[in-house]
Amino acid sequence: MRDFDLLEPASVAEASRMLADLGEDCRVMAGGTALMLAMRQRMLVPSHIVSVARIEALRGIRFDPVDGLRIGALARHTDVADSAVVKQHYPMLAAMAAQVANPQVRNQGTVGGNLCYADPSTDPPTCLMSLGARVVLGSVRGQRELSIEEFLVDYYVTAIEPDEIVVEIRVPAPPADFSGRYTRFLRTAAEHRPLIGLSLATRRSGGTCREAVLAVGASTPIPCRVPRAEHFLAGKTITPEVAAEAADIVAADIQPVSDARGSDEFRRDMVRVVARRTIAALYGLATD
Amino acid sequence: MNASTLGKTIPQVNARSKVLGRARYAGDVKVAGMLHGKVLRSPYPHARIVRIDTSAALALPGVKAVLTGADAPRAMWGVHHKERRILAEGVVRFAGEEVAAVAATTEEIARDALDLILVEYEELPAILTPEEALDEEALGVHPGRNNVSHEIKFHLGDVDAGFAKADLVYEATYDCHAQYPGYLEPMATVATIDPDGRLQVWTSTQSIFQARMRLAAALEMPVSDIRVMQATTGGGFGGKMVEDANNLIAGLLAVKTGKPVRLVNNRLEDFLACCSSVPERVTLKLGMTKDGIIVAKDVRIIAECGAYSGLSAEVMHVTAMRSDNMHRLKNVRSHATLVYTNNPPHGAFRGFGGAQMQFALNSHIHMMAEKLGLDPVDVHKRNAHEAGETSVHGWKIGSTGLRECIDQCVEAIQWRARRAGKARGQGTRRRGVGMAAAMHVSGNRTIGNWDGSTVVVKINEDGRVVVHSGECDMGQGAMTMLAQVVAHELNIPLDHVHVSPPDTDVSPYAIGTLASRVTIAAGNAAILAGRKARQALFDVAAPKLEASAGELEIADGFIRVRSAPDRRVTLAEIAKLHIWRHDGEGIQVSATWDAKTVMHGNVHGNIAPAHSYAAQAVEVEVDTETGQVTVLDSYVSDDCGKAFNPLAVHGQSNGAAAQAMGWALYEQLQLENGRLANGNFADYTMPTADSIPLLRSGIVESNDPNGPYGAKGASETAILPGAPAIANAVYDAIGVRITDLPITPEKVLAGLRAQRQAQEQEQGGIRHA
Amino acid sequence: MSKHLIEVTVNGERHSVEVPARRMLSDFLRDDLNLTGTKRGCETGICGACSVLVDGEVVKSCLSLAVQADGRSITTVEGLAKGDELHPLQQSFMECGGLQCGYCTPGMLMTACHLLERNPRPTADEVREGLNGNLCRCTGYAQIVESILDASEKMRGN
Repeated sequence: MRDFDLLEPASVAEASRMLADLGEDCRVMAGGTALMLAMRQRMLVPSHIVSVARIEALRGIRFDPVDGLRIGALARHTDVADSAVVKQHYPMLAAMAAQVANPQVRNQGTVGGNLCYADPSTDPPTCLMSLGARVVLGSVRGQRELSIEEFLVDYYVTAIEPDEIVVEIRVPAPPADFSGRYTRFLRTAAEHRPLIGLSLATRRSGGTCREAVLAVGASTPIPCRVPRAEHFLAGKTITPEVAAEAADIVAADIQPVSDARGSDEFRRDMVRVVARRTIAALYGLATD
Repeated sequence: MNASTLGKTIPQVNARSKVLGRARYAGDVKVAGMLHGKVLRSPYPHARIVRIDTSAALALPGVKAVLTGADAPRAMWGVHHKERRILAEGVVRFAGEEVAAVAATTEEIARDALDLILVEYEELPAILTPEEALDEEALGVHPGRNNVSHEIKFHLGDVDAGFAKADLVYEATYDCHAQYPGYLEPMATVATIDPDGRLQVWTSTQSIFQARMRLAAALEMPVSDIRVMQATTGGGFGGKMVEDANNLIAGLLAVKTGKPVRLVNNRLEDFLACCSSVPERVTLKLGMTKDGIIVAKDVRIIAECGAYSGLSAEVMHVTAMRSDNMHRLKNVRSHATLVYTNNPPHGAFRGFGGAQMQFALNSHIHMMAEKLGLDPVDVHKRNAHEAGETSVHGWKIGSTGLRECIDQCVEAIQWRARRAGKARGQGTRRRGVGMAAAMHVSGNRTIGNWDGSTVVVKINEDGRVVVHSGECDMGQGAMTMLAQVVAHELNIPLDHVHVSPPDTDVSPYAIGTLASRVTIAAGNAAILAGRKARQALFDVAAPKLEASAGELEIADGFIRVRSAPDRRVTLAEIAKLHIWRHDGEGIQVSATWDAKTVMHGNVHGNIAPAHSYAAQAVEVEVDTETGQVTVLDSYVSDDCGKAFNPLAVHGQSNGAAAQAMGWALYEQLQLENGRLANGNFADYTMPTADSIPLLRSGIVESNDPNGPYGAKGASETAILPGAPAIANAVYDAIGVRITDLPITPEKVLAGLRAQRQAQEQEQGGIRHA
Repeated sequence: MSKHLIEVTVNGERHSVEVPARRMLSDFLRDDLNLTGTKRGCETGICGACSVLVDGEVVKSCLSLAVQADGRSITTVEGLAKGDELHPLQQSFMECGGLQCGYCTPGMLMTACHLLERNPRPTADEVREGLNGNLCRCTGYAQIVESILDASEKMRGN
């Protein structure tokens, strides 16, 4: 890769000042897996890298029954997957994190880095969106919070300001009747990146879905909610027909991309299948 | 005591160095003052090189050389057609062609320098499909010739009469795509000029003598001024034989700079540097009697070699005629055309053209068997040659385990029970079974009228042995095979035999590891050499032990009189005594074995000393909503004549099966206007451990009369049945026949849609009737 | 352009080395420390031949800067054996045919090491899943899985 200067600030403020001074030709590095890949192929050629690895404030995973979950930006996928509080209170988040990429990347890649890179073909953003996660951004000017929807602007583009870094990701405390499921769908078993990520977060009473949040990602430039499907599911007892109809709505309402790994039509069809199976599986119905 | 390891499961002799991380691959070699090379490649499939400005690159501190075609020797290299420059000059013919090479003090600087080389191209119209290439108006990819690189035509017997008599005639066209060999070690070479001015090269290769020959020709140097040493090689699969330029460019940089140069490909580069397998369209027409006997075979092939032909003509030759030798066939006609395009070049890959035809033939047999109400297993077996027979192309079948392989694998998969249909189901997920069978050669004389091998055995003064052979091990186990044979002949422990890494200065001349020839050629030579060495020992020991040579044996580290084992002497003593006497010398013997085969004249002649066979049965599950095909179980049965090391044979069968699954289901090179768009492992998805089942395999030993202790080649045959077995299983599961590889989810879904529509029309029709 | 002094323990040995910012961990190990056991198989983060343990966890060294290893403890394939005594995984790979060309082997061994540390009693399916960050083109994986299961038994004292 091209040569660069590496800076290692020890605080959010220091990092922010550095970023403000360095301007555009600079990238932030957390775990570094995605960044290194892009830089080794010279798709990105920053003159400076600001590593946030030494900023203690970005570490840790904490849970509070009122405030919910706080995932430090430097938490690795492995940390999320193995965390006792995540497994207990957000099992679908732990399950999703345990499947991201492959074991090595899970041990290196961070949630903060993943969100900032905004690569569509990954799992965390879709899952976090469905859980109502919020991204906490820090700079010398203070802190602000954005929802995932506000944070992700386009593929590889976020709403982060040039002098900001992601400090943590906050996930609201789950209601007592929470029931959710994330599906990572690969085009074939040999693929390394998901073709579709479908995340369903519901409030549930037995076989009835009281409220639903449904996000689709990987086949779209950024993950998207499907309000019409959410509205349709709300208050319904989930039957195979309900699941199928909801899936049809999801398939109809998304704008899938079209590329070598799948045409928009193919992705739409797969989203339909994945949506129906996810809804059915979550509510204990046969998925086939 | 019998020290022999033949037939036992043993670790490879070089396994320890590999698990310790000590094995030295070419990229691990370090020479003081070594420079690092990088290659600039054409972004265009066809373009005139108008001008190259290397001044900025040369000015970069640390850069020691920037070479272009103008700096490279005039000589063209290639296999049959010498049509390629080490670095292109004047014109580039494929996106990825080597245009310039840099040597610098670090790899990073060399890479930086590539960005500073200014190449002005004038893009030219590119020919991107065989159809375009064959058009009458098409421009030639190469000057002075049309785009037909090679053509094969033959007709044996009377095919049309055969079809006239057939009870069933069936014709279909099959499309086979190119596969990237995908060895884990990208091409790598360290080239250096030694103090005497000779070029010395460590390289990742399947043939040191072929590499030396190409270096000599391409660099316009005498062969004897070049030394090629095989570094531990991390896989080859045909890609590191004779069509690769990595060691040529490294050699050129070393010659021009006078310094050692290391040139290693990263994976993106290797996808462009390595020939993928030959894509072919095979139109097959078979005539069968109602009992499934093949009475006529007509084959039409359009194959594409890409910008440079390499070994593609030989590959196509195999597709055109090899499978004829499996069956008792009298009437066969074949017409094969190899076409140039401006796509990245194709060439040798495991199976060497066999997989393309076996996909067609085995799919075809399955369909025809169904139409005739027969089990494809029976059709295969009824047509199969038996040992002692001669095939339509004059191949003398010395041994065949084809029927046993078929029986073994279908039994393992519970073929008959599963085909009985109750498990198949009508639900979303449907299961099916499929099988296929294939043959391959063990050796091939057509390379150049020699298919032999020479092995040298030296016995050191400690009674231990060094073996020299020029045949290369790329992980398949050749070194272990040689050690096992020599240890067996001398009845000494395996770890008393050291097989020296191939080195053109030291090793006897060798063809290299291709055509599954090494076990039979070098194995036989090793037997002869081992016996010669034993005789040399006995000739000196006999007078010392006051016995005749015929009364002696080697056991437990001693040469002793068989009937009076107390009269004995150590091997070390005799080895020393062989030297320290009048007319003494160290024990060093050489033995050569060549197959008693012939060159073929016009597709007829016994070209191989033996033939290997394999069959495979698989069970798949098709998800009819996602189109995904999951291979649930796979069993490959391989007839290797005799397994010296069953662990190694199983390992090769499994590896072959995995590659076949990749070709059938997961791998597809994607070209966009002649440019490879997915030349990386994220987008070109080879099988991972969790995308294929735990593979199962079996061995059949048919004991070939020409083979060392009956052994034949193994490894290539096992890749041949995979894709058709899977296609047949998919058809069994869902009734959709896919003739165009790979079997993708889209094709499965499209097939199911078409099937539903046809059913609806049929039902509609009935309603209206 | 920037240079960094890093303190890193590799296979139990402490090193204090100045490295350029852009030095990859894989190249640092191979070229600066002459530990060429770790391999460069793709340099694009998929094949896993570059896998090493950092603080006991398996990562891809081709996706890591040497600078990121500062203060950490790294184990490469060269650190598995104790003198001449092979690690049970190395022994099992040899005996069960878990390698042929050997190029993926160092990475496989390191991944297997971490896998067994997290899950000392894996099923064959768990092993297959745990290896999905490591490609092999020679073995078809079956004998690799067998090797790891064999080693897990040995390591549990069976």
